[in-house]
Amino acid sequence: MLIRRYDLKLKSPIKIRIFKENSFWDLAWKRFKRKKLGLIGLSLVLMITVMGIFAPLLALYDPNDQSALIYGPGSYAPPSLAHPLGTDRFGFDVYSRILYGARTALIVGILTAILSSIIGIMIGAIAGFLGGQTDEILMRFTEAFMLVPSFVVILFLVRIFNILSPKTFLGQIPLLNLWIIIFVLAVFDWPPIARVARSQFLKLKDQEFVEAARCLGASNWRIIFNHVLPNALPPIAVLSALEVGNAILSEAMISFLGFGDPHVISWGQMLTFAAQDMQVAPWVVIAPGVFIFLMILGSNLLAESLSDALNPRLKE
Amino acid sequence: MSETQSSEKLLKVENLVTYFYTSSGVVKAVDDITFDIKRGEVVGLVGESGSGKSVTCLSILRTVPRPGKIVGGKIIFKGSNLLEKSETEMQKIRGKEISMIFQNPAFSLNPICTIGEQLVEILRWHTGLNKEEAAERVIKLLKAVKLPDPERRFNQYPHELSGGMKQRVVIARALLCNPSLLLADEPTTNVDTTVQAQLLNLLNDLKRDFGMAILFVTHDMGIVAQLTNRVIVLYCGKVCEIADTETIFSEARHPYTKALISSVPRFDYKVSQRQKLKVIEGSIPDPISPPSGCRFHPRCSYADAVCKSKVPEPRELEPGHIVACHHAGEIKWSD
Amino acid sequence: MKPLLRYITRRILFFIPLFIGVTALTFFMVNAIGDPVEMMLAEVPGVSQRQIEMVKKFFGTDLPIALRYFKWLANLLHLDLGVSIYKGKPVLNLLSTYGAQTLKIQLASLAISLILSIFLGVTAAVNQNTKKDTAIMSLSLLCRSIPGFWLGLILILVFSNWLMFFPSYGALSSKEYLFGSRFLDELWHMVLPTLMLIFFDLPAFTLLMRSSMVDVLREDYILAARASGLGKKTVIWKHALKNAIAPVIAYASYTFGVMIASSPVTETVFTWPGVGFLFVDAITNLDYPIIMGVILILVVSVFIASLVADILYVIIDPRIKLE
Repeated sequence: MLIRRYDLKLKSPIKIRIFKENSFWDLAWKRFKRKKLGLIGLSLVLMITVMGIFAPLLALYDPNDQSALIYGPGSYAPPSLAHPLGTDRFGFDVYSRILYGARTALIVGILTAILSSIIGIMIGAIAGFLGGQTDEILMRFTEAFMLVPSFVVILFLVRIFNILSPKTFLGQIPLLNLWIIIFVLAVFDWPPIARVARSQFLKLKDQEFVEAARCLGASNWRIIFNHVLPNALPPIAVLSALEVGNAILSEAMISFLGFGDPHVISWGQMLTFAAQDMQVAPWVVIAPGVFIFLMILGSNLLAESLSDALNPRLKE
Repeated sequence: MSETQSSEKLLKVENLVTYFYTSSGVVKAVDDITFDIKRGEVVGLVGESGSGKSVTCLSILRTVPRPGKIVGGKIIFKGSNLLEKSETEMQKIRGKEISMIFQNPAFSLNPICTIGEQLVEILRWHTGLNKEEAAERVIKLLKAVKLPDPERRFNQYPHELSGGMKQRVVIARALLCNPSLLLADEPTTNVDTTVQAQLLNLLNDLKRDFGMAILFVTHDMGIVAQLTNRVIVLYCGKVCEIADTETIFSEARHPYTKALISSVPRFDYKVSQRQKLKVIEGSIPDPISPPSGCRFHPRCSYADAVCKSKVPEPRELEPGHIVACHHAGEIKWSD
Repeated sequence: MKPLLRYITRRILFFIPLFIGVTALTFFMVNAIGDPVEMMLAEVPGVSQRQIEMVKKFFGTDLPIALRYFKWLANLLHLDLGVSIYKGKPVLNLLSTYGAQTLKIQLASLAISLILSIFLGVTAAVNQNTKKDTAIMSLSLLCRSIPGFWLGLILILVFSNWLMFFPSYGALSSKEYLFGSRFLDELWHMVLPTLMLIFFDLPAFTLLMRSSMVDVLREDYILAARASGLGKKTVIWKHALKNAIAPVIAYASYTFGVMIASSPVTETVFTWPGVGFLFVDAITNLDYPIIMGVILILVVSVFIASLVADILYVIIDPRIKLE
């Protein structure tokens, strides 16, 4: 992988290859490939991504198509050739809804991970780099955030925003509930990333190459972005991978309790109705849950093996 | 070996092999070593890091941590082979007949128990003493290792003691049941030099009072000169040379031994004689795939084709002087 | 005793501003967006504006928000948490009845998870990298990945609907008690929800116990204890475990403090009349006395839990001192 870096004095691009032979990244990838679990995790996540992206192509029916009620086996139909995973109480095809649900899951998971990582890195970097009072205050703040049992507060905030936002200009935005959920989840999941970012920055800021860069006249921001960040990324990447799974689980739970976005198809929401219909149609409970499980498992495995690959630890 | 001669020998290690089965390969930590220790003797076990010194001690006690395993050989202590004993029988020997003291005093004491609790527990485990009797004996022993204010220290936690005091406690712990053999794994490496001198004197006195044999593992030739009667030199899991201390320093036959002795800085040279510090070229070999033939040959200035292909067997050059070198006795040292 | 009391007092002093901040924020947020009385009565036909005003006056929602908050704080001092707007009962009563139910399953799950995790974690650590260890680790990781609430549903599916071993909802049978005993009936209803909670807690505790134990077993003093002749069982269960257990106990204390966090989902799945269930109801209806009450418990219990965890650390490890 090539990146362009501008030398501070010369103002000309100096191309640097990151993935050199036997460079850190190369070795890390080799280690990653060795672990079968990591590949399984990666393939699970990729599979669900593909499902989500190509949902319109792979789906047999439109997810809101209730024609089964009239032309098909009706509601609560068991799995059959026409409906591989059966139909639910509204006559929707479960299989198609699962595919579209993958989109929601991925959007929530990935966006939350990205957002919480950005917030976490920023706060951790500032705390670690500036140190002193700023560090103290920021760390107390972070600890306080971590102690709070987030789920209860998340539910509360989602509900508040649900009621509040339609009244304001924000109500015009489509899928507003979903963005609210993503935002609230990210706001509560950044502390672990901030902590890791801070410790990485603390470790790295005293290293020699930072001193060297400073001597060349680089500003603080430049140092953070070009020098320290690439080295600090590995453990943060691990946490982000975990975060994807966490976010999807949280969103599923929020939707399950009825506070999700009614305009999108969510696996959690499918389970709300499925739970009530369990006596009549047990298969409706199984499918969404299995996919949530696979997604979380995938991201957990990915995180485990990323962590092993990037941090060679002696296991013996 | 006649019966009377072998009964003098407290410990006889014969062809001991201990390997570590790691995910990167098999580490041949101890690869066929043979030596013995007589009653009341102080034997130095010398070598670089990774030469197998600590593993030898752990093998004698059979507390080699996973993934290590004693693969072959015999360890004959007071006439019986330790490798054939059951775990229960070994527990009666560890801490009682054979004791060990470790390198880092800060870490070899349980941080959440008081000094008294730890030592009393071990004493009561091996003997049938009740709490008061055991406590008395522990305090007596703490006095013997010259720990200041032993009654107060008895109720303190390890972190409340200095490094030197901790190491004295560790020595006391090892001597609780009057062992016949003390395995000392570099006990003075991690303490200040002043404390080091005190501890060495202490060990000398204790040896006189308790009469135990000591296997003193170290890489410091100075300590060897001060303390030991005999020396075993290890390199990469194999024995290079075994001889009396005096002989080792005056008439070393193995190139590695000679190099070790020469690398000690000398303060008695006149200004005109002073030279650069002598180093041994090269670095420690990979214990997973050691060099062929004599393990020292890549770093030896006297090595030839034979050294590269054949593993030298230890030979007794003179009574009590064993060397494992193809050219032992033939080499004229260059300095 | 003295330094302990001073420490606790200092922690409480630091906590009070936090407490006021959080509760004030919550109060304002809930009340700023809508009047629960109006919401409630909007669905009731034929209610006149005057009647709405009367109800508002009764519940105090006609007063400005800031005043309402201070009234709430003042009432707090003599343990009056107000009256639920929807249920009409005093909040304190509601919290204690529902809270007791939540405590039942959470404490049972915590106790069982803790004990089991000690056995599993120690076994895994002692047999590190063998089949036993891999099995325990993989199972734990797997359980962590399974969405808890889905598992609850599956439990109901299998044990309630198909096998009909256990009841699928509620804390108590509405008609006949199991075998005529109320105690047994309550236990019987507790089984499935507790099982689901154990699924949440056990993997986390086990993995923590294992990693803490692995670190301790690597230490020199464990090797020294073995070299002194002590038996394997003594060394592991007495010396190693005592050193390794501190983080697990601290985490258990923390889990206890945040037990409210896992309750909404569990209690909705099993229709269990606990605080989580109450809370979900309350935020749907914007029943702010209950919301405030629950947030209050939340904040206080998290505080107490972290305080207890810190104190436990000091008790277990003589190296750590109160700051």
